[in-house]
Amino acid sequence: MQLEPIDRFRYRIPRDATRGMRTDVIVYSSHALLEQIRKDTSLDQAVNVSMLPGIVGPSLAMPDIHQGYGFPIGGVAATDWQNGVVSPGGVGFDINCGVRLIRTSLGAAEVRAQLKPLIDQVFRDIPCGAGGEGPIQLKPRELDDVLVKGAQWVVERGFGNAADTEFTEERGALADADPRQVSERAKERGSRQLGTLGSGNHFLEIQYVEQIHDAAAARAMGLEAGQVVVLVHCGSRGLGHQVCTDYLAQMGAAMKKYNLTVPDRQLACVPISSGEGQSYLAATRAAANFAWANRQAILHFLRGAFQRIFGPSLRMNVVYDVCHNIAKRERHRWDGEKVDVLVHRKGATRAFPPGHRELPEAYRAIGQPVLIPGSMGTASWVLVGAEGAMRETFGSVCHGAGRLMSRTAAKKGRNAREVEKKLEEQGILVRSETRDGILEEIPEAYKDVDAVIDVVDQAGLARKVARLRPLGVIKG
Amino acid sequence: MFEVLEHAADVGFRARAASLREVFESAAEALVALAMETESIEARESYPLKAAGDSPESLLVNWLSEVLYYLDGRRLALGRFTVSELAPDCVRGTALGEPRDPSRHPALLVVKGVTYHQLKIEPQAGGWIAEVFLDV
Repeated sequence: MQLEPIDRFRYRIPRDATRGMRTDVIVYSSHALLEQIRKDTSLDQAVNVSMLPGIVGPSLAMPDIHQGYGFPIGGVAATDWQNGVVSPGGVGFDINCGVRLIRTSLGAAEVRAQLKPLIDQVFRDIPCGAGGEGPIQLKPRELDDVLVKGAQWVVERGFGNAADTEFTEERGALADADPRQVSERAKERGSRQLGTLGSGNHFLEIQYVEQIHDAAAARAMGLEAGQVVVLVHCGSRGLGHQVCTDYLAQMGAAMKKYNLTVPDRQLACVPISSGEGQSYLAATRAAANFAWANRQAILHFLRGAFQRIFGPSLRMNVVYDVCHNIAKRERHRWDGEKVDVLVHRKGATRAFPPGHRELPEAYRAIGQPVLIPGSMGTASWVLVGAEGAMRETFGSVCHGAGRLMSRTAAKKGRNAREVEKKLEEQGILVRSETRDGILEEIPEAYKDVDAVIDVVDQAGLARKVARLRPLGVIKG
Repeated sequence: MFEVLEHAADVGFRARAASLREVFESAAEALVALAMETESIEARESYPLKAAGDSPESLLVNWLSEVLYYLDGRRLALGRFTVSELAPDCVRGTALGEPRDPSRHPALLVVKGVTYHQLKIEPQAGGWIAEVFLDV
């Protein structure tokens, strides 16, 4: 595969019409990360994405890119709203998988002194793992309301406050969600899962702010060195998974109807303007709203757990909540023209720059907070979106460290107790429903998150604000 | 009979059987075995399963998605699978199992979905194999 360096952090796979590519692929990476990226098929997948009908601009690959299904994880593609396609593979099974950062009024020393009872309390109060069912049982009509109102529904039930949704992407609910486009099966899978963390790479980390890189932006977010924060990473649970399954099953027949072909069945797509496309988008918005409601419910139980240990005067406020698996209609400028596009972000985070009208007033001057979870036991990052993202990537950056090692390889020859002990020696307590859960998410299974962040920072897509270090980890 | 396949982010399996029908049964058993402990699943009830598709590949993905719905949506623990009908556009069968009891059927993985990624279903060495990757 021909990969041309553009500069230190950008590479291009030029459009090759003979392969069916409609546009270039642009890869954001350092030389060292590129060596790792080339070990799997993620760049081939980014090439496949460049073949989507109606793609606007290049197929984009972020530095945390790794092999996914159809789309690479860490891939971004914008398609023309009038003449382009929507691909459920560009969103994935976990619709609106995302991250919420909560700041506390506690310092690291206070929390370290109570870390064991705290982590145990949080582990008790927030269901996680494969069997996790939440304490909120939703009647069918209530679930439909959740799918329309998202996080707001949870706040209206008394589980949070207006500021929680103010600092959530889309204020915690996408407009034009339609519960009628969500199957009964999807609703059944989701009805008992509100307020649950799930499994896989989902987690909740109690962290502290280790370093501030941008004092003004950190101040605007209420962050300071030594302060304890909580990072929650999860999505739309079984409801979103079933929405993806349902629409993927329909797409095969629909593609024949619209005479569309793609190089990978998992990239199945339909015209955005088609009935199937509009139904999928309305269902996706509903699933995204379920995910925001889920993270809001988790925040409520988290507040309860912290207050049991530290008393009722403790304050916990949302810094921001942002999704990294979504397809959203947005207006951008491309080649000097205003374009109306559907931005697929598959393992990629929205990163709007300062001044963007969709940002809460408090962040208008600094840009949108971008939350990048690292691997268990390493670091996570708070960034802000920069102008480069608007110019080059439809307002998008990376979403994590990026997986390097398979789950099987991560478990091979390792002992969960030894991993826990090693983390304990670094002052990090881990809780998980299963031993495999700990082993599968060992830090060595991921790329170096700092190297990923350096790329997006130096390429001008986002700016570093703060580096966070874990104290306690609940592995979903 | 099945073996686990590696994937950077997720997990897959290769199921083998003597016939196409049986490879659908083995694949379903592999999916359950990756999702939960199966040793103590009791065959108390029979659950009907069906899936449609327009190719062996889509039939297999939709069949396994049907099994996944029963595990995660209906919260069942499923043991033995029998395919009773396998047509070019439809597969029907049953699963024996019981309502899921997390104390007896501890979960191993949350399977989000069944993918078409590197999907294979083909005759090989006197039988059939199916290779399937799951999003977890």
